[in-house]
Amino acid sequence: MIMKKKTITDLVLENIVLLIPLIIYGIYKNGYLIYEKELINIFSIFKPLYLLLISIGVKIVFDLIKYKKIKIDYNLLYVILLSMIMPYNISYIIYIITFIITYFLLDILDKYLTIHKVCFMYLIIILVNFLINDFTYLNPLEEEYLYSFSFIDYLFGRNIGGLSSTSIIFSLASYLFLINSYYYKKDIPLFINISYLILSIIYYLISKDNSLIINSEMIFASIFISPLPMYSPTRKVMEIIYGILIGILTFIISVTFNRVLAIYLSTFIVSLIYLLGSRHSLTKK
Amino acid sequence: MNKLVSIKNNDNIIMASKIYENNAPEKVYFENTLNFKINDYIYKNMDLGNNFASISGKVTNIFSYNNKSFMEITNDYQENMQNRLYKKKCHNKEELINLLSKYKLDNIVKKIKSIDNIKNIVISSIDEEIYTIKEFIRLENNYMEILETLDYLNKIILNKKSFLAVKNTNFNSIKNVKSIIGTYPKIKIILTPDKYLISYKPFLCNYLNLVKEETLLLSTNELYSIYNILNGKNNLEVLITLSGNATYKSIVINAKLGVLLKELMTEYLEFSENYYEVYKNGYFKGTLIKDIDNFYITNDIHFIEFRKIENKLVSPCINCGACIKICPFNINVKKCFQKNYASKKCIKCGLCNFICPSNIDLKSIVGSYDNEKENNN
Repeated sequence: MIMKKKTITDLVLENIVLLIPLIIYGIYKNGYLIYEKELINIFSIFKPLYLLLISIGVKIVFDLIKYKKIKIDYNLLYVILLSMIMPYNISYIIYIITFIITYFLLDILDKYLTIHKVCFMYLIIILVNFLINDFTYLNPLEEEYLYSFSFIDYLFGRNIGGLSSTSIIFSLASYLFLINSYYYKKDIPLFINISYLILSIIYYLISKDNSLIINSEMIFASIFISPLPMYSPTRKVMEIIYGILIGILTFIISVTFNRVLAIYLSTFIVSLIYLLGSRHSLTKK
Repeated sequence: MNKLVSIKNNDNIIMASKIYENNAPEKVYFENTLNFKINDYIYKNMDLGNNFASISGKVTNIFSYNNKSFMEITNDYQENMQNRLYKKKCHNKEELINLLSKYKLDNIVKKIKSIDNIKNIVISSIDEEIYTIKEFIRLENNYMEILETLDYLNKIILNKKSFLAVKNTNFNSIKNVKSIIGTYPKIKIILTPDKYLISYKPFLCNYLNLVKEETLLLSTNELYSIYNILNGKNNLEVLITLSGNATYKSIVINAKLGVLLKELMTEYLEFSENYYEVYKNGYFKGTLIKDIDNFYITNDIHFIEFRKIENKLVSPCINCGACIKICPFNINVKKCFQKNYASKKCIKCGLCNFICPSNIDLKSIVGSYDNEKENNN
């Protein structure tokens, strides 16, 4: 392997570039297809993009207030990822207010305690949305019609889930690219998916319920969110254990509660255990 | 071996193909351990305590620097010597050690003495740093002498097969050596992959399937120093590479001991950048030179790297673990750094500093353990 040094900016931009096809597919699935059935107006086609721009806007304003300049750091990746995993029915007002409050709160908290920013903000926003608005991951098209998709459709992203996180093909293509990066913790997604798949196949053999086997949200989050460097272990053995634990917990939450939310909740719990366990990561120097 | 990596270097730099001679410096500087005085005459080859004088001339200045006394010798260009050196012969290992000790080749003596039962001799023409080319250029230019000395060394120490390790990208050296290797049936040429740290003894021995504790590893320049002594020449010059991404091309100079770096820079180098940092023995393994104007060449210097100043924004650790993954000795670099302790295993290779996306100077903490000091104690 020929080594070439990369900076944090390079790593963040590399991830953002890989997310672009997923965002475009999100606009197609959660915008164009719904507009085609005349369930939304033309401006609503770009809802994934609006949320993305709102998130980036808040981050830029925050940077300008705090650092007097715009920084390309991991926070930029976090806010982009967060906008991509939001459910379709998220209200703009709830999103903006909760996003701003949690973002500022986490920045203060960051000095004392490190927690998985993306998962924490996601869970809070979903909770607030659930309390005030509604709790569903279906977009208007999925609420209106009952589809029978083929395996290929699911692979391309006709799954129920976040705004831009449902395309398995693009997620896997990104993974194939990322495994060549020296900085990417490639064992984490691998072991999350292996452990989850084994358990869901066993579950299928017992209960004949195959709905858990294809979980696009889990594939996306296991590739982009669970291995985020700040919240995951650095040693290979620990990465494998971390991956297996998330996979098992995701399966349990999928069966008992919600299969879209499961990966975020399990990543948050397992990363919190890891961060509390490794005290040197807990407080920053 | 699997952990070793290749490092991408700057392809715009033209690598040197010949050795420049720096025969007549105006002034040279040495540590004044024997308390010479101003106007004392110094002969070429004269014992100065730590070194031999590389030129002849008068002591024109004596000064203190970092609590040490130094002297400036101005060249009279006469090359006057008190005693002439003659060709020598050694019949066994002890005689060789005595001869090398007399001529202050302490590093080589230490290496030979450290192995009780030498079963293999390996000569490495692989340079440690990515921009250094002094080992392979020595082989390319003096392959006859290298092979001759290796054969001689083999005869008095080992009388078995010995190895000459050459990087598989050094085509000219391979071609040259192969053209005459038939004359030396006890020497075997070994091609190694182009990987950083492959020249480091544990990795090279591992690659050659040799036991580290039984192997004498010398570089081509060390072997050439032995050749000089055996042939009645003292080692008053040192082969150094001047290179880096702030220069247009690499230069290899046979520089007189004690010459000022500034003199070599003005005479030989062309810079592509106005602002650069200078590293003694390279960016990866070496140290930053803070006072370039007063820096002179000693025999422990083999490489001066001129590195363009990059916009190095140091940010907090992102916990990516790349430093742990790249460390050839599996040191938990991150943990060592955060707990502020040095690792005994660290060889200061600088890979952790190179790979860190946050630009943290990990080596300064992890590699701060002084192995040499412990060995001396």
